[in-house]
Amino acid sequence: MSEIDARLSKIQGRALRIGSVAFVLLIISGMAGPQRAMQSWLLGFLGMCAIGLGSLGLLCLHNLTGGGWGHAIRRVLEAATKTLPILAVFALPLLLWPQGLYEWAHPEVVAADPILQHKAPYLNTGFFRIRTVVYFAIWIGMAALLRSMGSVFERAPSDANGRRLRTISGPGLAVFGLTLTFASFDWGMSLEPHWFSTMYGVIFIVGSVLSTLCFSILVASWLARCEPVSRYFQPGQFHDLGNLLLAFVMLWAYVGFSQYLIIWSANLSEEAPWYIHRLGHGWQGLALFLLLFHFAVPFLLLLSRKTKRRHAVLAGVASVLLVLRFADLTWLVVPAFERTNPILGLILDVLAIAAAGGLWLGAFLSALRSGPLHSVAPPGPAEAQPASQT
Amino acid sequence: MSQATTPPPPDETRTAAIIRPGHSLSSVTDKISKIVLQRHTPRGWFIGLGISFALVMLLLWSLTVLLVKGTGIWGLNIPVGWGFAIINFVWWIGIGHAGTLISAILLLVKQDWRTSINRFAEAMTLFAVACAGIFPLIHVGRPWLAYWLLPYPNTMDMWPQFRSPLLWDVFAVSTYASVSLLFWYVGLIPDLATLRDRAKSRPWKIAYGVLALGWRGAARHWDRYETAYLLLAGLATPLVVSVHTVVSLDFAVGQVPGWHATVFPPYFVAGAVFSGFAMVVTLAIPLRKVYGLEDFITMRHLENMAKVMLATGLIVAYGYAIEIFTAWYGGSEYEMFMVQNRMKGPYATFFWALILCNVAIPQLLWSRKIRNSLLALFLISIVVNVGMWLERFVIVVTSLSRDFLPSSWDTYEPTFWDWSTYIGTIGLFLALLFLFIRFLPMISIAEMRMLVPAEEEPEEEEK
Repeated sequence: MSEIDARLSKIQGRALRIGSVAFVLLIISGMAGPQRAMQSWLLGFLGMCAIGLGSLGLLCLHNLTGGGWGHAIRRVLEAATKTLPILAVFALPLLLWPQGLYEWAHPEVVAADPILQHKAPYLNTGFFRIRTVVYFAIWIGMAALLRSMGSVFERAPSDANGRRLRTISGPGLAVFGLTLTFASFDWGMSLEPHWFSTMYGVIFIVGSVLSTLCFSILVASWLARCEPVSRYFQPGQFHDLGNLLLAFVMLWAYVGFSQYLIIWSANLSEEAPWYIHRLGHGWQGLALFLLLFHFAVPFLLLLSRKTKRRHAVLAGVASVLLVLRFADLTWLVVPAFERTNPILGLILDVLAIAAAGGLWLGAFLSALRSGPLHSVAPPGPAEAQPASQT
Repeated sequence: MSQATTPPPPDETRTAAIIRPGHSLSSVTDKISKIVLQRHTPRGWFIGLGISFALVMLLLWSLTVLLVKGTGIWGLNIPVGWGFAIINFVWWIGIGHAGTLISAILLLVKQDWRTSINRFAEAMTLFAVACAGIFPLIHVGRPWLAYWLLPYPNTMDMWPQFRSPLLWDVFAVSTYASVSLLFWYVGLIPDLATLRDRAKSRPWKIAYGVLALGWRGAARHWDRYETAYLLLAGLATPLVVSVHTVVSLDFAVGQVPGWHATVFPPYFVAGAVFSGFAMVVTLAIPLRKVYGLEDFITMRHLENMAKVMLATGLIVAYGYAIEIFTAWYGGSEYEMFMVQNRMKGPYATFFWALILCNVAIPQLLWSRKIRNSLLALFLISIVVNVGMWLERFVIVVTSLSRDFLPSSWDTYEPTFWDWSTYIGTIGLFLALLFLFIRFLPMISIAEMRMLVPAEEEPEEEEK
């Protein structure tokens, strides 16, 4: 136990060091070009938010459905929801200086643009700040409630406590879906304020859950290699997690392609530019790359039982996917910016992801270490049974 | 890791049995096969079939008049070219989603509560798809040329438009219908053998025997059966999603305000599951009562289905909300007008009725008490069926009747023939269902036997 803790603490220290150095470098670059730094920071912020928020959603889902997969990653999810206050701090640059990112935050741009004037009751700096604060207040409150009721239930697993846990998880999931949708509209979709898509929130939610699944599979697989916690992890649980990952990989492709097909077919002047930016200027290469390695290859790999039942192999797939989650986010966000120096932009993006990622990982590991590393007893015979399907 | 460990959150509905205790292998077989094999047919069955059959006659009459006179007998007009035919097509196809979802997806995710409801849900799927299939065929105007929809080398040198989702529909629906039929039939084979062995009269023995394809229940048979069943489940799963996705694309790829929304595919699929489960609940509650199947279709089944309805209903409500928000946020005057027209236009009653049926009333399902009340559940399921029909009406008619150019606006009013065709397909659906429950086991005997606790010693076993 203490040996694991020592190793975790070592990783935590390293993550914090990398994060701080990257953060300082980003700040320094920000002095030369604040807008560039902001753009990259948004990427890092959204990337980490995905994991914190996806954890909230998966926690609600697991409270409602149960299942061995959730027990393997429950502690990871709970620890990730503890990082939501840190993510709120990460949002501060957006709140303080939305002008650095969003066209609609510039009064002179809005004054010349009738569509932006129409949207001004929603897209204005004051309401934007209020909304972001409200989202985080809801998420942090919900996460605290879920954790405390979860621990009450674990101490006294009675029917009444279980029911209470589900009673908040059901509406919680609905609130999660709505708030994350509007958060994605605010933070991501409004980067191109003329563009709109009803699918955008769904794409964002699916992406968040996918990031979370990848991350928690990685942590669970790491723990499954460490004595003595390893006995709390069963191949069956990883199999289920692998199936869930497969389902979300397919869902990601499904929602992404549906949006593309519908916009491509209608070919309307208010919708098509979003794809014109993302399928030209070299971005088409990234799009194709994502199609292959964010969908086709993991899809084929995850079809196999062997991949899913060996946690090390599954973790390999998950780690590649996690990296590609950032590539996907880059494809969604960065083409909105007009970058004069794409190479410098890319360097700053990597720096921002390292900064946000390192600091977030440090916070996450400290949350993870503060409690037990597994949530339940070794699964009973029913759950340890090899899953017979797919 | 000395921390005290705890079991997973127990779900009290999970502790409620999916088969009432006390059943043995033979009692399960007796109870289900008796419904089919008994000589005596309940009078209610004859009355029900009689009424449904009368409605089938109404359908045939309506179709005859249609073929003689043409689609002019319907309420269609120039802006509203997709009236009842498309509304009913989408409605039936939606209902036809529950069966394969219950059978295939719940099988793959190991939800054992599916077992007692999957058989008649699959049958319901087939009958709903049969009803759905009628509408596009008659809507083309000259059904005798419907084969032109299929791409085949012909002397006219004409190919269908491969870019059109309407053509994808042909493939999606026909594939779905074939795989669903196959899935249902493969699942039936062991039960058909049971019926063959138990049937008293020779003609029935022969009929069930032919259908059972020589099933002897050998270990090798079971092995191959299980493999085939799983493979079919894997095949059917993407089809469940694909069919309603393509149906949603019929609308979404166009530019008509209210049709062109990127969220349509997942929101249509959720709506289909919503209406499909509602139909299963509508049918399951009276069936279990009339045939005394409360031991097999327990409250746990009904409560789980209610939860699925609640969840999918919320996804549908999310779709409505995001559509309305985006219509404003997008800033297009046509989209904004479309929302206004839905809420305040000539069809506003339909819109608000739809919100009541699909969004407001299903929220009652949050309450455990409601989920456990048969009457409430039955009524809500009917309300949802109505609501999902209204949804398609609102989407098809309000958008088409008032699109971009006010000079081309017109109102749509269904005629007698629209209604008679629609009600006729309900009759067809029910008539097929009545025949099914009389001649085939409506619950899978073989799968139910697997749920009987192992310690119950079999008294007799089928060979």
